[in-house]
Amino acid sequence: MIKFLIKGLLRDKSRSRIPVMVVAIGVMLTVFMHAFVTGYMGDTIEMNARFTHGHLKVMTTAYADEMNQMPNDLALLEVDELKSNLKQMFSDVDWSPRIQFGGLVDVPDANGETRSQGPAFGMALDFLSPESKEAERLNIEKTLVRGTLIKEPQQALLSEKFAQNLGVNPGDEFTLIGSTMNGSMAFYTFKVAGTITFGVEQMDRGALLVDINDAQFALDMDNAAGELIGFLPGGFYDNGLAVEKASEFNEAYANVDDPYAPVMKTLGQQGTMGQYVALVDVWTIYISMVFVFAMALVLWNAGLLGALRRYGEFGIRLAMGEEKRHVFNTLIYEAIVIGVLGSLVGTGFGLLFSWLMQTYGIDMSAMLEGATMMMPSEIKARITPATYYIGFIPGLLSTVIGAALAGFGIYKRKTSQLFKELEA
Amino acid sequence: MWLAIKLAYRNLIGAGLRTWLNVIVLSFSFVVIIWMKGIMVGWDHQAKTDMANWEIGAGQYWHENYDPYDPFTFSESHNEIPSQLESEIDKGTMTPMLIVQGTIYPQGRMQQVILKGIDPDQNVLKLPSAKLDTAITVLPAFIGQMMARTMKLDVGDRVMVRWRDAHGTFDATEIEIIDIFSSNVPAVESGQVYIPLQSLQQMTGLENRATIFTFSNEVMGRDAVAGLVLKSKSDLTKTVDDMIKTKNSGQSVFYFILILLAMLAIFDTQVLSIFRRQKEIGTYIALGYTRKQVVGLFTVEGAMHAIFAAIVAAAYGIPFLAWQAKIGLTMPVDTSEFGIAIAQTLFPVYSVGLIVTTTLIVLIVTSIVSYFPSRKIAKMNPTEALRGKIQ
Amino acid sequence: MKTFTTIVTLFLALAGFAAPDANEILDKVDQNLSSENRVMESTITIHGKRNSRTMTSRSYAVGNEKAFTEYLSPARDAGTKMLKLDDQLWIYSPGTDRTIQISGHMLRQSVMGSDLSYEDMMDDRKLTDMYDAKVLGEEQIDGRNAYLIELTAKTSDIAYHSQKMWVDAERFVPLKQEMYAKSGQLLKRLEMREVAKIGSRWFPKTMIYKDMLKQGDGTEYTVTKIEFDVEIPEYIFSKAALKQ
Repeated sequence: MIKFLIKGLLRDKSRSRIPVMVVAIGVMLTVFMHAFVTGYMGDTIEMNARFTHGHLKVMTTAYADEMNQMPNDLALLEVDELKSNLKQMFSDVDWSPRIQFGGLVDVPDANGETRSQGPAFGMALDFLSPESKEAERLNIEKTLVRGTLIKEPQQALLSEKFAQNLGVNPGDEFTLIGSTMNGSMAFYTFKVAGTITFGVEQMDRGALLVDINDAQFALDMDNAAGELIGFLPGGFYDNGLAVEKASEFNEAYANVDDPYAPVMKTLGQQGTMGQYVALVDVWTIYISMVFVFAMALVLWNAGLLGALRRYGEFGIRLAMGEEKRHVFNTLIYEAIVIGVLGSLVGTGFGLLFSWLMQTYGIDMSAMLEGATMMMPSEIKARITPATYYIGFIPGLLSTVIGAALAGFGIYKRKTSQLFKELEA
Repeated sequence: MWLAIKLAYRNLIGAGLRTWLNVIVLSFSFVVIIWMKGIMVGWDHQAKTDMANWEIGAGQYWHENYDPYDPFTFSESHNEIPSQLESEIDKGTMTPMLIVQGTIYPQGRMQQVILKGIDPDQNVLKLPSAKLDTAITVLPAFIGQMMARTMKLDVGDRVMVRWRDAHGTFDATEIEIIDIFSSNVPAVESGQVYIPLQSLQQMTGLENRATIFTFSNEVMGRDAVAGLVLKSKSDLTKTVDDMIKTKNSGQSVFYFILILLAMLAIFDTQVLSIFRRQKEIGTYIALGYTRKQVVGLFTVEGAMHAIFAAIVAAAYGIPFLAWQAKIGLTMPVDTSEFGIAIAQTLFPVYSVGLIVTTTLIVLIVTSIVSYFPSRKIAKMNPTEALRGKIQ
Repeated sequence: MKTFTTIVTLFLALAGFAAPDANEILDKVDQNLSSENRVMESTITIHGKRNSRTMTSRSYAVGNEKAFTEYLSPARDAGTKMLKLDDQLWIYSPGTDRTIQISGHMLRQSVMGSDLSYEDMMDDRKLTDMYDAKVLGEEQIDGRNAYLIELTAKTSDIAYHSQKMWVDAERFVPLKQEMYAKSGQLLKRLEMREVAKIGSRWFPKTMIYKDMLKQGDGTEYTVTKIEFDVEIPEYIFSKAALKQ
């Protein structure tokens, strides 16, 4: 029976090719839309994750309490050991140490005396380890105004405005004066590798990026770091997964009596990000729902149309003695076959396009001309488990419902009437 | 042409349910696009209104050295209140504010803050300054919700504040938090403590001096005031513009897909109707229609969906959009701390331009989509078509 | 009635005679603490949240205007030098071979993580030039008789509006000092211990400095070796000396 129906579908192109195509395109749009909305809505979260919160962050309890003060005196110690333990515990999470620090950037004249000075907001990341993805994560190459990325020790990136105010250029040296983890005075000479721009006034005034090893050396933080931030596999924040990992870690490590014991916090547990995560989830569902609804209308319409135009054929079949019920059932089976086929093809293509957009993104910078915010100019899609099945809702369900609605006509009309529609 | 339109109208109405399904899908795109754009415009308005209400009024005069990003400049950025501005201040349409760097010690932890002296009688900003007009033994102060949370402070708490006066002499006193406000504007909340202007002026020895002056009515061509820089509302709200711009660029992809979806429906219908109505097409040609005219007829038929859709969209969209504009779209979670000006409830704002452009775009795109399948007609053999033979 | 007033006045006058004038006390304190020049070695212990650390340094000073300090330990800080000439301050770091001028807002930062700011270190005016002094009475501090002197600012460009100082009534060495804000709020406290006789002077060898608004145990400053009125070559107080 099914074989027969499929044969029929295959031989009558107007019954197969076009409906499957329509369903496939519709499903593809739904799937792509879902991935896009998820990616687009989650963008702000990912940006926060990349710059400050990570998907997961390990700090000492004391540090976590005063996070906004950059209290490096409360930093994590023995970071390498901790990192390798973390790697063992969560092999799929990418861990990177970071240090945030304040200090004074001092530019020397020919005699090595102060020529210009300015307060800096420093961030140290792993630029130099070959396996580190930090520079890529912060999209530093894109924000580079002059010079190059940090390629060797003792190089630094300054924000362009800051460099201009100080009167330094790539290749020039400057001294960082800060305070070590213990509160001693720290001096360290860096060479400007390049300048960057963030588009955020506060950062552009005095941002300083250096390699983590230099910062550890400069700030007397040997094998110490303010925070270890982790990124989940796939590079997207998944609250459930993150919470699971964090509680597993905290069960093993947290110690209420030791303010310097490490604790792990998810992005959602840091500051107000939790509410934002909730907001984005809700919005993603809203928008996806609106879209699935619209798509369902379209495909329902297509299913209905496909069946309506076959009333003539039904008339003949009924005249030949086929039972109404049987005609209706075959119609539904056909719709299911079309729906499944279309949904499969559509989901396949939808996933392909989503994957392309997840990997390469769309560059929106042309639309953002004149904007000075540190917003990602690239919009990326994001494939989640839901992306795999969401297309089937309109693809299969609506096609079948559409066909069923049209099929009710078979019961309502007389055979002669249906037969007549063959003429129309 | 008139005939084509009339025919197209008859055909569409005649097609009944099929037409209306397409029309509904298309009208849905209309309404959703206008609604979402409306929310963006509403957000833009709201963010700017909130900023105006809480932070910037209709504009501000800043002391020429004042740099909100560099608290070290505060000690050199205050002026004697200029006589030019006095009449406006007396009228209550302008309010001076003195801004000083300070240190707060909640639970003995040292934190840098910005002390803002605000006139308790001011009405320019929505800040609860009137609450400062109270008689308690210590200095009354209010803070924003964000600040209250990070500092772990509550109404009624007392906390030590230290600052330096104009000469650099340390001074410290206890303040009592008499109110915590929530504003949707992080820029007025984070790291800031509001105390009575006169007290701050006395405390710092900066009698009758202020850092910024916020005015409530926009006067075109305001005079330059010596030592002050005029910041217009549009200067001060540039970040909002940027943010809306970014959001819009992302949403345009959404609109694109939404229209694509409606077009899928139209395309589907067009292909089917051309396929099914070959006899009709043959008849038209037999009656002396040129092929071009028949293509035109089918294109008009397709495009007419958009017009019907506009009407249907108006029928249920106007009440829906009006209702949305009235009750707003309430965020299901607390949005007060996102670091961007976003209100708990966003009220969409629709402009005529927005509605007209959306309608035009949908109409044009529908016409194009209707035209493409119709071109097939031009290739048909009229006699075969007349016989209804599938080609 | 009149007689009574006379007696009271007389009594008050006598009382005034009995206690020395506040400025006199401060002068005597100056004689103990100030010198034409001095060379000293000291340790400074800073109590952090997590640990405490100790640094040692050697410093040379001429009057209150010129000072040169070289850090001796720990290894990380050894060789770091500071030069103060009037209201200017330079720091030399051997690791980077740089001479850096500390000015403006940097002066308000704490020195090496201690409860002292550069500014605290820099003020070289005499107490009697900055403050009006008044004896409030006598109190016991650590079992010693001390005059309690109140200092009220006479100039406005001063970090602390008023101070209280307990001066050993016999040795004329401050035993305790409290710095107050204009509002009367106690901001910082200085306690002196281990008063010892060095040459003809009494000198407190240990000082504990504490920011009273902040949690923590403060900063401990101990003089391990001090010499007064020795010859200090002039070149020490030059930027060139920083690099040596």
